[in-house]
Amino acid sequence: MSLRKQTPSDFLKQIIGRPVVVKLNSGVDYRGVLACLDGYMNIAIEQTEEYVNGQLKNKYGDAFLRGNNDTRHALYPVCDLISNFCTSAPRRGKSSEDHFEFI
Amino acid sequence: MKTGRFEQQPTTNTVEEPLDLIRLSLDERIYVKMRNDRELRGRLHAYDQHLNMILGDVEETVTTVEIDEETYEELYKSTKRNIPMLFVRGDGVVLVAPPLRVG
Repeated sequence: MSLRKQTPSDFLKQIIGRPVVVKLNSGVDYRGVLACLDGYMNIAIEQTEEYVNGQLKNKYGDAFLRGNNDTRHALYPVCDLISNFCTSAPRRGKSSEDHFEFI
Repeated sequence: MKTGRFEQQPTTNTVEEPLDLIRLSLDERIYVKMRNDRELRGRLHAYDQHLNMILGDVEETVTTVEIDEETYEELYKSTKRNIPMLFVRGDGVVLVAPPLRVG
Protein backbone atom coordinates (compact mmCIF):
# COMPACT_ATOMS: atom_id res chain seq x y z
CA MET A 1 0.00 0.00 0.00
CA SER A 2 1.57 3.28 -1.03
CA LEU A 3 0.45 6.80 -0.28
CA ARG A 4 1.16 9.34 -2.96
CA LYS A 5 1.36 13.08 -2.37
CA GLN A 6 -0.79 14.92 -4.84
CA THR A 7 -3.16 17.80 -4.98
CA PRO A 8 -6.77 17.01 -4.18
CA SER A 9 -7.93 17.85 -7.68
CA ASP A 10 -5.45 15.41 -9.18
CA PHE A 11 -6.79 12.79 -6.84
CA LEU A 12 -10.35 13.59 -7.90
CA LYS A 13 -9.52 13.21 -11.58
CA GLN A 14 -7.80 9.90 -11.08
CA ILE A 15 -10.38 8.01 -9.11
CA ILE A 16 -13.47 8.87 -11.10
CA GLY A 17 -14.67 5.74 -12.88
CA ARG A 18 -12.94 3.39 -10.48
CA PRO A 19 -14.61 1.00 -8.10
CA VAL A 20 -14.57 2.48 -4.64
CA VAL A 21 -15.60 1.81 -1.09
CA VAL A 22 -17.00 4.70 0.88
CA LYS A 23 -16.91 4.13 4.61
CA LEU A 24 -19.07 6.38 6.70
CA ASN A 25 -18.43 7.09 10.36
CA SER A 26 -21.77 5.45 11.13
CA GLY A 27 -20.24 2.12 10.12
CA VAL A 28 -22.04 1.72 6.80
CA ASP A 29 -20.12 0.80 3.66
CA TYR A 30 -21.07 1.77 0.16
CA ARG A 31 -19.39 -0.04 -2.71
CA GLY A 32 -19.76 0.92 -6.33
CA VAL A 33 -18.23 2.77 -9.25
CA LEU A 34 -17.45 6.40 -8.59
CA ALA A 35 -19.49 8.46 -11.03
CA CYS A 36 -18.45 11.92 -9.86
CA LEU A 37 -17.65 14.03 -6.88
CA ASP A 38 -17.28 17.71 -6.14
CA GLY A 39 -15.21 20.06 -4.01
CA TYR A 40 -17.41 19.47 -0.98
CA MET A 41 -16.93 15.71 -1.20
CA ASN A 42 -20.50 15.10 -2.29
CA ILE A 43 -20.28 11.79 -4.14
CA ALA A 44 -22.30 10.05 -6.83
CA ILE A 45 -21.81 6.29 -7.07
CA GLU A 46 -23.24 3.89 -9.62
CA GLN A 47 -24.44 0.36 -8.89
CA THR A 48 -24.05 0.89 -5.20
CA GLU A 49 -24.25 -1.82 -2.61
CA GLU A 50 -24.79 -0.93 1.00
CA TYR A 51 -23.11 -3.06 3.64
CA VAL A 52 -23.97 -2.95 7.31
CA ASN A 53 -22.37 -6.05 8.81
CA GLY A 54 -23.91 -8.16 6.04
CA GLN A 55 -25.39 -6.95 2.80
CA LEU A 56 -28.56 -4.96 3.38
CA LYS A 57 -29.74 -3.15 0.32
CA ASN A 58 -28.90 -2.92 -3.35
CA LYS A 59 -29.11 0.45 -4.98
CA TYR A 60 -29.01 0.50 -8.73
CA GLY A 61 -28.38 3.64 -10.69
CA ASP A 62 -26.93 6.60 -8.91
CA ALA A 63 -26.64 7.01 -5.18
CA PHE A 64 -25.64 10.42 -3.87
CA LEU A 65 -23.70 10.70 -0.66
CA ARG A 66 -23.53 14.05 1.08
CA GLY A 67 -20.13 15.33 2.00
CA ASN A 68 -20.03 17.08 5.32
CA ASN A 69 -17.98 17.62 8.44
CA ASP A 70 -19.32 14.96 10.76
CA THR A 71 -19.41 12.03 8.42
CA ARG A 72 -15.98 11.02 7.31
CA HIS A 73 -15.69 9.31 3.99
CA ALA A 74 -12.78 6.98 3.59
CA LEU A 75 -12.65 6.72 -0.13
CA TYR A 76 -10.36 4.23 -1.67
CA PRO A 77 -10.36 2.21 -4.86
CA VAL A 78 -10.60 -1.49 -4.22
CA CYS A 79 -8.93 -3.14 -7.14
CA ASP A 80 -8.38 -6.75 -6.15
CA LEU A 81 -11.33 -7.20 -3.88
CA ILE A 82 -14.02 -6.33 -6.36
CA SER A 83 -12.29 -6.99 -9.65
CA ASN A 84 -15.01 -9.45 -10.58
CA PHE A 85 -17.69 -7.12 -9.21
CA CYS A 86 -16.80 -4.19 -11.39
CA THR A 87 -17.07 -4.50 -15.15
CA SER A 88 -14.77 -1.63 -16.01
CA ALA A 89 -11.09 -2.37 -15.72
CA PRO A 90 -8.93 -0.32 -13.38
CA ARG A 91 -6.99 2.47 -14.94
CA ARG A 92 -3.92 1.46 -16.88
CA GLY A 93 -0.50 1.60 -15.37
CA LYS A 94 -0.34 0.82 -11.71
CA SER A 95 -0.92 -2.55 -10.18
CA SER A 96 -3.31 -3.47 -7.42
CA GLU A 97 -0.79 -2.16 -4.94
CA ASP A 98 -1.83 1.33 -5.83
CA HIS A 99 -4.15 2.50 -3.06
CA PHE A 100 -5.21 6.06 -2.48
CA GLU A 101 -6.49 6.68 0.99
CA PHE A 102 -8.37 9.87 1.55
CA ILE A 103 -9.83 10.24 4.98
CA MET B 1 -14.84 28.93 -10.71
CA LYS B 2 -16.48 27.75 -7.54
CA THR B 3 -14.36 27.05 -4.50
CA GLY B 4 -14.99 24.39 -1.94
CA ARG B 5 -12.97 23.04 0.91
CA PHE B 6 -11.06 21.09 -1.69
CA GLU B 7 -9.96 22.34 -5.05
CA GLN B 8 -12.70 22.20 -7.61
CA GLN B 9 -12.28 20.62 -10.98
CA PRO B 10 -11.73 23.20 -13.76
CA THR B 11 -14.80 24.40 -15.62
CA THR B 12 -13.57 22.92 -18.89
CA ASN B 13 -14.17 19.30 -17.90
CA THR B 14 -17.36 17.60 -18.96
CA VAL B 15 -18.04 15.63 -15.76
CA GLU B 16 -21.20 16.70 -14.02
CA GLU B 17 -21.25 17.28 -10.33
CA PRO B 18 -23.29 15.06 -8.03
CA LEU B 19 -25.72 17.95 -7.49
CA ASP B 20 -26.31 18.20 -11.23
CA LEU B 21 -27.32 14.58 -11.22
CA ILE B 22 -29.74 15.15 -8.35
CA ARG B 23 -31.36 17.75 -10.57
CA LEU B 24 -32.33 14.90 -12.88
CA SER B 25 -34.43 13.49 -10.04
CA LEU B 26 -36.55 16.63 -9.69
CA ASP B 27 -40.23 15.80 -9.66
CA GLU B 28 -39.37 12.13 -9.35
CA ARG B 29 -39.85 9.93 -6.35
CA ILE B 30 -36.64 9.45 -4.39
CA TYR B 31 -35.34 7.63 -1.36
CA VAL B 32 -33.46 9.62 1.28
CA LYS B 33 -31.43 8.07 4.07
CA MET B 34 -30.99 10.37 7.05
CA ARG B 35 -29.11 10.33 10.31
CA ASN B 36 -30.73 8.79 13.37
CA ASP B 37 -31.94 5.78 11.39
CA ARG B 38 -34.56 7.64 9.41
CA GLU B 39 -35.60 7.08 5.84
CA LEU B 40 -37.82 9.14 3.62
CA ARG B 41 -39.61 8.23 0.42
CA GLY B 42 -41.22 11.09 -1.41
CA ARG B 43 -41.35 13.28 -4.50
CA LEU B 44 -38.50 15.75 -4.84
CA HIS B 45 -39.86 19.22 -5.48
CA ALA B 46 -36.78 21.30 -4.68
CA TYR B 47 -33.25 21.08 -3.33
CA ASP B 48 -30.20 23.24 -2.83
CA GLN B 49 -26.46 22.88 -2.39
CA HIS B 50 -26.87 22.05 1.31
CA LEU B 51 -29.23 19.25 0.31
CA ASN B 52 -32.10 21.03 1.99
CA MET B 53 -35.09 19.54 0.20
CA ILE B 54 -38.79 19.97 -0.27
CA LEU B 55 -40.44 16.58 -0.50
CA GLY B 56 -44.08 15.95 -1.27
CA ASP B 57 -46.19 12.92 -0.43
CA VAL B 58 -43.62 11.60 2.00
CA GLU B 59 -43.46 8.41 3.97
CA GLU B 60 -40.99 8.60 6.85
CA THR B 61 -39.66 5.40 8.41
CA VAL B 62 -37.92 5.51 11.79
CA THR B 63 -36.10 2.30 12.69
CA THR B 64 -35.27 1.37 16.26
CA VAL B 65 -33.55 -1.64 17.78
CA GLU B 66 -34.69 -2.98 21.08
CA ILE B 67 -32.48 -5.44 22.85
CA ASP B 68 -34.18 -7.92 25.14
CA GLU B 69 -32.27 -7.84 28.41
CA GLU B 70 -32.70 -11.53 29.07
CA THR B 71 -32.25 -13.13 25.68
CA TYR B 72 -30.13 -10.31 24.16
CA GLU B 73 -32.34 -10.63 21.14
CA GLU B 74 -32.36 -7.70 18.74
CA LEU B 75 -35.86 -6.59 17.92
CA TYR B 76 -36.05 -4.21 14.96
CA LYS B 77 -39.03 -1.92 14.96
CA SER B 78 -39.97 0.61 12.36
CA THR B 79 -42.45 3.43 12.73
CA LYS B 80 -43.93 5.04 9.67
CA ARG B 81 -45.81 8.24 9.15
CA ASN B 82 -47.10 10.10 6.13
CA ILE B 83 -46.51 13.79 5.53
CA PRO B 84 -48.03 15.65 2.56
CA MET B 85 -45.33 18.32 2.28
CA LEU B 86 -42.01 18.38 4.09
CA PHE B 87 -38.95 20.58 4.37
CA VAL B 88 -35.83 18.56 5.05
CA ARG B 89 -32.78 20.30 6.50
CA GLY B 90 -29.74 19.24 4.55
CA ASP B 91 -27.36 18.52 7.40
CA GLY B 92 -29.36 15.45 8.36
CA VAL B 93 -29.16 13.91 4.91
CA VAL B 94 -26.76 11.02 4.37
CA LEU B 95 -27.78 9.54 1.02
CA VAL B 96 -30.16 10.27 -1.84
CA ALA B 97 -31.14 7.61 -4.41
CA PRO B 98 -33.99 6.50 -6.63
CA PRO B 99 -36.57 4.48 -4.67
CA LEU B 100 -35.28 1.13 -3.53
CA ARG B 101 -36.13 -2.06 -5.31
CA VAL B 102 -36.54 -4.66 -2.61
CA GLY B 103 -34.38 -7.81 -2.89
